[in-house]
Amino acid sequence: MTRCILEHMKRFVLFVTACVCVAAVAALARPTAASASWCWPSCSSYGLLGQSTSTYTGCWFSNGEVCSYYNSWFNLGMAKTCYPGCDWNFNTTGVVLYGFENHDRIRGRFSSRGAVTLYVRPADLSMSGLLRAQVTWYAGTNQVNAAAIG
Amino acid sequence: MKVALALLLVVGAALAGLLVSRGGASRDTAELSNRGGPTVAIRGLRMKLATIRTGHVLATRHGRVFYRLRTVSGEPCFGVGFATDVGTPGSVVCQRGFPAGGDPVLDLSVYEGTRHDALELSLIRVEGFAADGVAAIQFFRPNGDIALTVPVRGNVYSAASIPRGPIAGYAAVDEDGKRVWRSP
Repeated sequence: MTRCILEHMKRFVLFVTACVCVAAVAALARPTAASASWCWPSCSSYGLLGQSTSTYTGCWFSNGEVCSYYNSWFNLGMAKTCYPGCDWNFNTTGVVLYGFENHDRIRGRFSSRGAVTLYVRPADLSMSGLLRAQVTWYAGTNQVNAAAIG
Repeated sequence: MKVALALLLVVGAALAGLLVSRGGASRDTAELSNRGGPTVAIRGLRMKLATIRTGHVLATRHGRVFYRLRTVSGEPCFGVGFATDVGTPGSVVCQRGFPAGGDPVLDLSVYEGTRHDALELSLIRVEGFAADGVAAIQFFRPNGDIALTVPVRGNVYSAASIPRGPIAGYAAVDEDGKRVWRSP
């Protein structure tokens, strides 16, 4: 009887060890690209970016800007909706500057479009190294979702 | 009475349809006649929402490549990138409504700010796409003066040299120098 219990315990220990090994291999095999990401306001929702919006994380502008933490980002993606409305050409009254910043400068491109998806890589703005991804209010009302991947 | 009312509705609908189509509201003839070169493979885009596999190079100017792209679901996109790495756009814009008569410019110029106390931005690169009929793009100072005029060729514009100083908007002008559109 005792021998039978020990045999069962031995098998259980072997099973647990095998599971731990499989989990460790799976964790190590995950791509490093997924290790860094930033989203605003979240990775599955839109937020209103206005003149007084801030992430309070030390962005270039204290108000009217949302920005990520410093990282070596691969790109920034931004989706902007038609809220509160678009004209016939999908223009909104809102204008944003989207791009990157460091301690010395802020760089980006403007967009006033709604129903738009934009992507920009730091190198395309002639920037590199540790940067913050940023979206900055310039005019009007903007409903956006921003995300950066590293 | 009912027949007269039905007849009135039919005639009204026909007139409305005629007015809408003649007014150009039902179709927009603005386009980019530059269809670009042969298809090139597009790589290096880790973009979940805009899966782009192929595109066409519209032009190469001042070390930059201008792409006309399309997502696998058929959405039109435009991109720019360095000429040293053709097929890898550094920036992509996927949007509806361009080109259109009321939206003839897709500006992808890069702006820079160095002041924390004011949203004062200057140009560091000038580039973009423009619909047929746009001959040049004018960039303005905050006081309305023209800082830079860039010609459009093959639906693409790019400037080799850029003046310093703040910029507050841009406009599209036709061959006669008439302003046909202005940025918000």
